[in-house]
Amino acid sequence: MKRLYQALSALSLAALVLAACAPAATPTPQVIRETQIVEVPMEVVQTQVVEVEKPAEQTVVRLSGWASSPSETALLESLLYKFSVENPGITVKYEPITGDYKQALLTAIASGTEPDIFYMDIFWWQELAKNEVLLPLDDLMASTGTQKADFIPALIDAFTFDGKVYGIPKDFNSLGLFYNKALFAAAGLAEPTDDWTWDDLKAAAAALTDASDPNKPVYGLGVPADPGRFPIFAFQNGGGIMTDDYSDTVLDGDAAVGGGEFYAAFKADGSGALPSDVGEGWQGTVFGKGQFAMVYEGGWLIPYLRDQFPSTQYGVVLPPAGPGGEGNLIFTVAWGVSANTKNAEAAWKVVDFLTNAASQQQVLESGFALPSRVALKDSDYLKNNPAASAIFRGSLEGARPFFWGAVGSDVNDQMAKALERVYKEGQSVRDAFGEGATQIREAIQSQ
Amino acid sequence: MATLARRTPTAGSGEGLYAVWERFKNPIFYAVLIGWALLCLAPLYFTLVFSLKPVENAYTPPLWWPTPFTLKNYETVLTSFALFPRWLTNSVIIGVVTTALRVLFCAMAGYAFARLDFPLKGFLFNAMLVSMMMPGVVTLIPKFLIIGPGVIKGGLELGGLTIPTGFNLINRLEGVILPHMVDAFGVFMMTQFYKSFPKELEEAAEMDGTGRFGTFFRIVLPISQTQLLTLALLTFQGEWNRFMEPLLILRTPENFTLPIGLQWFRGEYYTLYSVILAGSLFNTLPILVLFFAFQKYFIRSVATSGSKEG
Amino acid sequence: MSTLARPGSAARSKRFTEAVTGYLFLSPWLFIFFTFIVFSLGWAVYLSFTRYNLLRPPEWWGLEGYQRVLTDDLFLEKALPNTFKYVLVVVPLQTIVSLVLAFAMDQQLRFRRVFRTIFYLPSVTSSVVISLIFIWLFAAQGVVNQIIGISYDWLGEVGTAFYIIMGMNIFTTSGTLMLIFLAGLQDIAPAIYEAASIDGASKLQQFLFVTIPMLRPVIFFVVTVGVIGCFQVFDQLYVMTRGGPLDSTTTVTYLIYKWAFQDTTIKMGQASALAIILTLIILAVTLLQRRVIEGSGAAAD
Repeated sequence: MKRLYQALSALSLAALVLAACAPAATPTPQVIRETQIVEVPMEVVQTQVVEVEKPAEQTVVRLSGWASSPSETALLESLLYKFSVENPGITVKYEPITGDYKQALLTAIASGTEPDIFYMDIFWWQELAKNEVLLPLDDLMASTGTQKADFIPALIDAFTFDGKVYGIPKDFNSLGLFYNKALFAAAGLAEPTDDWTWDDLKAAAAALTDASDPNKPVYGLGVPADPGRFPIFAFQNGGGIMTDDYSDTVLDGDAAVGGGEFYAAFKADGSGALPSDVGEGWQGTVFGKGQFAMVYEGGWLIPYLRDQFPSTQYGVVLPPAGPGGEGNLIFTVAWGVSANTKNAEAAWKVVDFLTNAASQQQVLESGFALPSRVALKDSDYLKNNPAASAIFRGSLEGARPFFWGAVGSDVNDQMAKALERVYKEGQSVRDAFGEGATQIREAIQSQ
Repeated sequence: MATLARRTPTAGSGEGLYAVWERFKNPIFYAVLIGWALLCLAPLYFTLVFSLKPVENAYTPPLWWPTPFTLKNYETVLTSFALFPRWLTNSVIIGVVTTALRVLFCAMAGYAFARLDFPLKGFLFNAMLVSMMMPGVVTLIPKFLIIGPGVIKGGLELGGLTIPTGFNLINRLEGVILPHMVDAFGVFMMTQFYKSFPKELEEAAEMDGTGRFGTFFRIVLPISQTQLLTLALLTFQGEWNRFMEPLLILRTPENFTLPIGLQWFRGEYYTLYSVILAGSLFNTLPILVLFFAFQKYFIRSVATSGSKEG
Repeated sequence: MSTLARPGSAARSKRFTEAVTGYLFLSPWLFIFFTFIVFSLGWAVYLSFTRYNLLRPPEWWGLEGYQRVLTDDLFLEKALPNTFKYVLVVVPLQTIVSLVLAFAMDQQLRFRRVFRTIFYLPSVTSSVVISLIFIWLFAAQGVVNQIIGISYDWLGEVGTAFYIIMGMNIFTTSGTLMLIFLAGLQDIAPAIYEAASIDGASKLQQFLFVTIPMLRPVIFFVVTVGVIGCFQVFDQLYVMTRGGPLDSTTTVTYLIYKWAFQDTTIKMGQASALAIILTLIILAVTLLQRRVIEGSGAAAD
């Protein structure tokens, strides 16, 4: 009996191992196999010697990112094509991920099959740095003469951890106040300017609100319970969300609460609404339909309006300043390099190329996002595109990165829930934010 | 049954009430049946109506009739939005392959449990019964690790040899198929079936010198058609509608199944609800066709699942 | 082991061949069973005692993960009560609704086949598709509001979102459960009813003292399957509300998903601990419910 048990367990173990080996081995060589197939037709006419040497020269670099839109993918592909022409020795294999990117990347890292280069969102990239799965880039930067000072300080600093640079920002976005020109004209109001303050915003929102058509009410301002919008009001009130070292939250501080009270008041007095109040998921759509006269959104709204609501006439200005001055959020993504990469130099060449001045100029002109290089601040493109220019300038005025430390998702959750409690349950802003802050502290404690 | 004997034939008011009940029970039952039937049909009816209206009218009356009428949403689903046909294909592949494998493997295992004698048979069978009671969520994380990155990062080191501990099937349809190609319920169902099945035919075949495998594939499989079809329908329906595991395993839209794709589509293009409704009907249609074609087996499959405890 | 006493080499080799054949027939199932059930369960238990973020190997953590689960506000105040609420509302209601439907179907009424087909329709539709349809039906300007003439965000309000999901679940499962009950009802031999009516039992008494006791195994099955399924509800919540508004639809399984796959710092160890805790809860409830149903049976006899 005992022997049978042993035989059986050996058998099932063997089955497990066999089955585990076969499929697991395929993905990695697949990459090489593919590139070799590409080379074969050329090599046939060449001599034997070249045929042996050529694959050895060819370095394959795998690159991954999320594909937010076909045109953005096309832009990246055209840049990569340019790179391949300039660097014939390096083959870049682009593997876009369109689903849950972070989860896909973590899974790939866990199995050791991550690409050499990948996008990292500012919101969670430090988790990767802390777990030592990223390559520090300082030495590689020095090797090609790329300097930190070439990039917008707020961006490159956001991807620095323990004094080392781990990511090169590929582009960024900040928030601007989008306003509907037709609605302003109809209400007989002067259009907003960069010098607007909270008082101007408040007065305009009230004047723009028009509920006379129950099927198509118009609200002055969109005030979603969105942790990617509300924080700028805390900043503009002289406060913040987290302390500078992210060890504690200041969501229950007077400045953040004051910002929250100002924000929530729009909904309370009827001059502001949530997208769900008019049956939509995103305020960008409501703005396009002309039911929100003003919304805080990033540069991504520009191509969306162009494609979906081409007839909506709009303008963009800096977010109005509050009692504490200007405040804005920076959303940014960087290229990171895997600590496991076997081709660090080739990988760096790719990253450096994608973030050099020429490529950044192309990013800027595509209109999706703004370049991370300081030098492009005065480009003609921004002069001719006031909307993009407002978003770009927003990053220079009191802007902070959209990043809340290791418990970022908890902080976001708690901010959204605190606002929802204010909106739906009539809780006071102070109590709601106090409760949120308590939860955030618990999450920090249990890290 | 002692309680029944206690009743005396002469019951006063109870009998009167009962007469009232006898009189009105059929109308009441009809009302219940018709009411529930309307409730069951309403969502699908509205879905159909609004899928035949333009995208901008996703929330606009009339509710009961598709005016203005358009087939644009179906055109979008079938031709202009290339991912829908992909999702449909993926769902079909996963559904058909999983069903085929499961029917075969469950029949094989069921046959072994019912007919063959081997060491540890009772123990394994009981272990299988216990596993049927185990909630699936408990193995969710390890399952994900085994299908994907492996339970040990970089593999298991065994004397210089590195053995991967995962199949690396993330974002592959095989990753969805693999863990479901056989399941305890199917094995149990086939075991019960073969146990109740006369042995004579097989014995005759064995007399003729046919081996076990020959007997199984040439005699046993063909005569268990009905039962296999029941199991196949049950499996296909389950796989066609499965959500949580494909959600974790499939990563890029071209590899999504229809349910995953539809809910992803809603996140990306929430203004196009009429297209989602048209796509939803596409997800429902194949199952409905199968249901109407094999109603008898569907109903049998449900009844079988109910009697397994009894 | 009496066969060993008189060894016949032919018999022994036949038995050996049969054992090998048996295991060959069993091998696909055995492979899946050991990989995805036995090993997975063991690894889930192991992970529950570790801290694991997928980026580094699991780190032994003892009972810390369990302790964190059992002191987590979201678990204690939302996920656990919500899950119990879901089970306590959905399981009894779906059982009663489907039993009533089955009983109505068991009368010799006309159009039974048509009704049976219609009732089964919601069950063949996938949970995702039904969820997507319900989101649209119950949207602020959706069909439901247009029929009753109000504007209310059913899935966006704390007071209603969870009940809409519960109602939807009852709606989708009742068809299947009705068929199970119907099969059970039709399995009861007419002779038993005849015997009862000879004893002078009225129809009502027949229902209470014959039908219900005879259906007890089926009821047990339906309730057990319902309890196990409802404790793990996920698809509908993920598609419809993502646990919101204000965590009012966050259940234990959703929390497991959130911890293991969604948080900035993913917590696969702690999520595994929660999965083990959920399994123990389901086991306890199933055993308890078995005692209750069997107990009530003993009392009735």
